[in-house]
Amino acid sequence: MFDHVEAYYRPGSIPEALRLFQTGNGGARFLAGGTDLINHADRSIRSLIDVTHLGLNYIRRQEGGWVIGATTTLSDLESSTATRALAGGILLRAASQSGPVQTRNMATVGGRVANRSQFAEIATPLVALDAVAVMAHARRRMKLPVADLFPMNGDAPTQGAMIVEIAIPALPGGGHIGWSFQKLGRTESDVSLVNVAAGLQIGRNGNCKWARIVVGATGPSPLRAVQAENQLTGRTIDATLIDIASDAVMNAVSPVSGIRGSAEYLCEMTRVMARRALLECAKGAGCTL
Amino acid sequence: MKTIDISVHLNGETTHWNIAPGDILLDVLRREGYVGAKRGCETGACGACTVLVNGKPIDSCLMFAAQADGKEILTIEGLAEGDKLHPLQEAFLDYGAVQCGYCTPGMILNSKALLDQDPDPSEEQVRETLSGNLCRCTGYTKPVAAVLAAARGSK
Repeated sequence: MFDHVEAYYRPGSIPEALRLFQTGNGGARFLAGGTDLINHADRSIRSLIDVTHLGLNYIRRQEGGWVIGATTTLSDLESSTATRALAGGILLRAASQSGPVQTRNMATVGGRVANRSQFAEIATPLVALDAVAVMAHARRRMKLPVADLFPMNGDAPTQGAMIVEIAIPALPGGGHIGWSFQKLGRTESDVSLVNVAAGLQIGRNGNCKWARIVVGATGPSPLRAVQAENQLTGRTIDATLIDIASDAVMNAVSPVSGIRGSAEYLCEMTRVMARRALLECAKGAGCTL
Repeated sequence: MKTIDISVHLNGETTHWNIAPGDILLDVLRREGYVGAKRGCETGACGACTVLVNGKPIDSCLMFAAQADGKEILTIEGLAEGDKLHPLQEAFLDYGAVQCGYCTPGMILNSKALLDQDPDPSEEQVRETLSGNLCRCTGYTKPVAAVLAAARGSK
């Protein structure tokens, strides 16, 4: 299938991996799980650089936030107690709904982000949590918001760089906070038609202090529904307000009709998923609806 | 074509393969006679090519053979101990959980990994696990019953 591949490397350090990539003259690809690469990469690849032996499989707390090594598999995320405690487990839920177990055992967090797939469930909560990709270049490291790696949000200078880890900053503190991840797929293991990651923080006065709503799969990049967030912030959350915000989330997306559904259907389902997510967040934050 | 040598622990025995660096694990397995791993969609959707690598189910159509270097692989050929079938294989026979049989090796190996991890799974867990193994004869009820029976039998 990949008849032009002349070399498979298993570097033991990040500098070595970067050097191999550089000497590949555009024909080299970083290989983590391989599930996206084998499915989608062009067949002219000449060398593979397996980055799963660089010690980048970890999930740990750091400076009030979390860091996730790039080659941590989606299954590792599911079974980690750290991700269970992280943001109501929305990352764990997104990982566990990222296709069948065979895929989740191979696919990595860094790979899913690097490949910028419209259907990478894991990207939606990462964007909602302001996650940052730590990238290694030949001579420096740089940090880029995961959101900026996706095509709609700018042309990030990532050529020749490798994602080392994903950093999630400390979550908003104080008050009560509720989280949700909702996915609609045709079946359990199918890709998302739409998914929504959301968080609501309720302050001491009972008003919404902070809101975050991100929609995935309806466009090339995860999309923050800022207008809907603004409609919730500073106000008392009730069922009517959630309906209004869910309409605003729907109005923010512009899906394209295709084999997975018509634009009208995907819009309507965005509203439904947003509503479910916000209801769960409100419940989790202790709101009475 | 430049080839590379890798060694895998295949069905309990150390095995050496000479492969092309771009070879897909499924192709190598079948070339080497392990045809229990079936060629289906080749996109990771159908699960017919499922094998266990280091005890975990993976789609061998979505893995380069070189990635398996130094790892343990279990194919359906290695599941029975001599003439003695694995309890999951017995249960699939007892429950008639086989129609054309094309998806069966993948289903059994995926179920084995589940039972190794959780010897007493719920029906929902079994269904979730097998969601990545498509049966185009559409026979899902009996495999699920067989896996649950194998779990009960091993208690």
